Amino acid sequence: MDEFITACPRNCYSTCTFIVQVSGNRIKRILPFSGNRATPEGPCIKGLSYIERSSSRDRIIYPLIRKKDGTFIRIPSDEALDIISSRLGSIRNRYGSHSILWYRGSGMSGLTNEIGYSFWKAFGGTTITYGNLCWPAGLEAVRLTLGSVKHNVPWDLVNAKTIIIWGKNPAETNVHEIRFIAEARNRGAKVVLIDPVRTPSADKTDMMYSINPGTDAALALAIAKVLIDNGLIDCEFINNHVAGYESFRDSLNITPESAEEITGIPAGDIIKLAFMIGKGGPVTFLPGYGLQRHINGGQTVRSILALAVITGNIGKQGSGFNYANLQSYIFDSVKEPDSYYPDPKNDSPFRRTLSMAKLGQDMMNASDPVLKTAFIERGNPILQSPDSNKVSKAFSSMEFRVVVEQFMTDTAKIADIILPAKNMFEQSDIIGSYWSPYVQFKPKILESPGEVMPESEIYYELSKRLGLVCSENQIPEPGNQNIENWLKERIKGYSDLQLEDLRDGPVIAPGLQEIAYHDFKFETETGKIEIYSQTAYEKWNVSPVPEYVPIKRKDEENNFPLVLITPNASGRIHSQFGNLKVIAENSETPALMISPEDAERRKISDGCRIRIYNESGELFTAVRISNRIPSGAVLLHNGIWMEEGGGGNILISGRETDMGYGSAFHDNMVEIELAD
Amino acid sequence: MKKGFVFNQSLCVNCKACSAACSLENNFTVKVRNVLTYNREAAASVPLSHLSIACNHCEIPVCMMGCPVSAYRYDSLSEAVIVDESKCFGCKYCVWNCPYDAPKYDPVKGVIGKCHFCYSRLGEGIEPACSSGCPTGALSYADLSELNPMNTTEWFPENELSPSFRFKGITKNIPLRIIPDSLFIKKINSVPEEKKIRRSDWSLILFSFFSMLSVSFIASLLLKGELRDSLLLVILLFLPGVFSVFHLSKWYRAWRAVFNFKSSPLSREIAAYLFYVIISITSVFSHAPWLLVVAVVSGLLLLLAIDGVYIYSQKDPVVYLHSGQTFITALLLISFLSGSVWPFIFIACIKILISIYLYKPSGRNIDILRHIRNALLLVAGASIISGISYPQLSVIIIFLTGEFLDRILFYFDFEPTNINNLIYKHIAEGKYETERD
Repeated sequence: MDEFITACPRNCYSTCTFIVQVSGNRIKRILPFSGNRATPEGPCIKGLSYIERSSSRDRIIYPLIRKKDGTFIRIPSDEALDIISSRLGSIRNRYGSHSILWYRGSGMSGLTNEIGYSFWKAFGGTTITYGNLCWPAGLEAVRLTLGSVKHNVPWDLVNAKTIIIWGKNPAETNVHEIRFIAEARNRGAKVVLIDPVRTPSADKTDMMYSINPGTDAALALAIAKVLIDNGLIDCEFINNHVAGYESFRDSLNITPESAEEITGIPAGDIIKLAFMIGKGGPVTFLPGYGLQRHINGGQTVRSILALAVITGNIGKQGSGFNYANLQSYIFDSVKEPDSYYPDPKNDSPFRRTLSMAKLGQDMMNASDPVLKTAFIERGNPILQSPDSNKVSKAFSSMEFRVVVEQFMTDTAKIADIILPAKNMFEQSDIIGSYWSPYVQFKPKILESPGEVMPESEIYYELSKRLGLVCSENQIPEPGNQNIENWLKERIKGYSDLQLEDLRDGPVIAPGLQEIAYHDFKFETETGKIEIYSQTAYEKWNVSPVPEYVPIKRKDEENNFPLVLITPNASGRIHSQFGNLKVIAENSETPALMISPEDAERRKISDGCRIRIYNESGELFTAVRISNRIPSGAVLLHNGIWMEEGGGGNILISGRETDMGYGSAFHDNMVEIELAD
Repeated sequence: MKKGFVFNQSLCVNCKACSAACSLENNFTVKVRNVLTYNREAAASVPLSHLSIACNHCEIPVCMMGCPVSAYRYDSLSEAVIVDESKCFGCKYCVWNCPYDAPKYDPVKGVIGKCHFCYSRLGEGIEPACSSGCPTGALSYADLSELNPMNTTEWFPENELSPSFRFKGITKNIPLRIIPDSLFIKKINSVPEEKKIRRSDWSLILFSFFSMLSVSFIASLLLKGELRDSLLLVILLFLPGVFSVFHLSKWYRAWRAVFNFKSSPLSREIAAYLFYVIISITSVFSHAPWLLVVAVVSGLLLLLAIDGVYIYSQKDPVVYLHSGQTFITALLLISFLSGSVWPFIFIACIKILISIYLYKPSGRNIDILRHIRNALLLVAGASIISGISYPQLSVIIIFLTGEFLDRILFYFDFEPTNINNLIYKHIAEGKYETERD
């Protein structure tokens, strides 16, 4: 049996390192790799499920073409590539290259994803998406304030005396953080969760505050007021490192009493929480991504971050605002969140851009040229984009769709040609992490089954057929050795990173600050923490100081009284993994979760089939009555395939966040009723 | 150095990676590792915690000791208690005997599946899949000698079996403080699952009842001196065997069932039954009265063996004092069939007193059954004492119906210790911590 060290390239905080035992081109075992200080106990259930996923019988391993009756049949790779290249060529000639939408999701991270850019640039440009479905409002908020997006290493959390988990659910989405939270508690730290829902993370804390969805900024600003009024702030820190404190202080107009009205949390408890934060230092804030998927999301994150700033909980051991740690994102020429802008700096303007948040609408409205073709890789927009009915319609109205996929996803089902996608074990690559500080190598350890080609080889073959002129080595020739050479070339500028070292396990990112901002240098215009940000106002037309902006709902939405929350499920990364047997066996069956009160009001009992609906659409699913859900909200995990009942995106309208071009997933109202 | 599973509740988030790792490593057709949740309903006033559990490979392996077909073995290298599917005949006695719910019956294959400690991995020097797969370190495989076996939650059963399992860290939980206080439901709504009589139980009820009947019949013949080779007797002798085979999925492996005579009460019961049938048949057909005495004695021993099977699984007055146990019921039947009024009255009184002594109203329909059962005995007794109607068929039917009902009630009351029930009971009885810091 051969053993390899590899790393998980999913869109996930943990980015685990693990050992793979291989025999006969099959994965036999997945074992923990203790050399990664953030994930020494090994991967989560999803990581373990690679044993099934990598050799699943459901995997697509040959190119498939859609017949007239809608079913798929296998065609030889050459023929598939011939059809694709000739269709792409002729559409470009007839309508221009911008009539092609190149859609890529976050299905697999890695440097080799850049190869696609080289192809499409050489092709003459394409239509592409801007923004991101996940986290950009918060990234922008953090960058506006601190100048960059980083935080202390994960294991520093044990030094915190108070941990405020704000809208994050590490027990399900960053399970490795639980070790550090538990260890901090062992050492006497108080742990508080702020979340509308009693998530499994709540049960790992001392207390939880159940807040009305979308009102987090009001709570944060009320806490800020209590801190300031009671002198619980770090004046020295503010004097030395903070710009615009006075404006912020003077703008505060939310009292604990008015916050009680907004957030549903009693004023007395808000004051207690403020004192915990003010007196319980060092404090680490663990904000999640859900709280910024609101139309006021960016300002919400700025408001919470302000608490860390005025109490001096930045740049010190056991403190910080752990939104995202991009210290290992060293390779990107355009740094996030910049790379999400419609026309980012440093990126030659080869493209037309459509909003990720409003994809369906933007696709339908695209003119000059109208969209004719889609090339989709690493993503499942039919299921994961807001307003998915519109997205479906927009894709359906196209002439030609290519989807590169491992499984018959809802997006693969609308393809004209499906090209089988590699899995993470079938091509070498290098990945970073947005939580731990490591750069990691994941080697090729399995031969691809059937006629699976990595995207780099698909692009190589297509560029050859289309006669594209690429500068040397931009699209490496087939063969993993060529990819590894390409990777070596790519990391050449970093003397600390050698491919041979990376093979032995994760390597700390060059220039890492274990304690982020310990030098108190901030890459803002003023060089200080900008609690007042002129840029925020100029770029995003929001108040230059953090502000609570109530979420305004349309009058029609009054008929739909329940807030729909669609977080990630523990057994899935978005729409990945849910199709596996081992995941299904160890997860609850997908269902809408509702409070006992709301269920009773609608005469709905546990397990019933129900209809969830609003102006955007409807879907049918089972219902689970849960004591974890507050009255007035319902919860449906995202990433549930249509054949399992469908994800909530049918019910979610396409709206952008206040900054960063994120998607406001959690501002939708629904009603439910018994299905017949 | 004794190694085993160590569990830290504060790190477990119910992600079920342990369970997944187990099924990915092994080809069990049943889920042998499970995560149990204390307060699964997430009632706000009750602490909430999880426990990942499979087999604890006890030093006193009651599953193995009770297995009649010797399907279990102990692997000294890995210190694992292992069940061999190819020997199991599906009697599920080990399911009763294990308080940790470790042996899992696979209804499709008709055999038991159970955690085997990943003994082949241990042989390679790799820890079991479940603990290796735990991403938080909540479940680990470690040296147990340093850890206190008494550090345990109140609802964790039977430490006297010396399970290779220890809790680490905090085992006492306090309920989560939730603000605002009024938001979430505080009390647990659901009640523990009601004990039901399953199909396999019916086969055991019939086996034990007809064993009782045949022993009593032969004994009453002996007492009355009316020895004769009747068809009824032969049927009564063989019926129990036929009924008992019904609850076995692999009845063709039943010949193995006396293999574990040394330690399994079930093996002894089966052996006793075989011996009793052979002696009885021989004695009836050879018309040898002294053999008939042996047959009656062996029959009474069989009934003691039957009672022993249950007492072994649940050492509780509810079981060993139960009025529906076969030995005491057989004594009543014998006195009834032989028309011995005073012994009958004496034993009947004992049975009724026991059932009153053990009576705990449950508020369910089963309480009515208990009253009916006692009423039937009283009616039958009154008929005998008044001497009006004995041995009329109607009285016999009334009497036997009552005793049959008692045997059924025994199966309702027989609930061997099981960790799932303990969790529910503990919550239902409100024994958990309610204090917050």
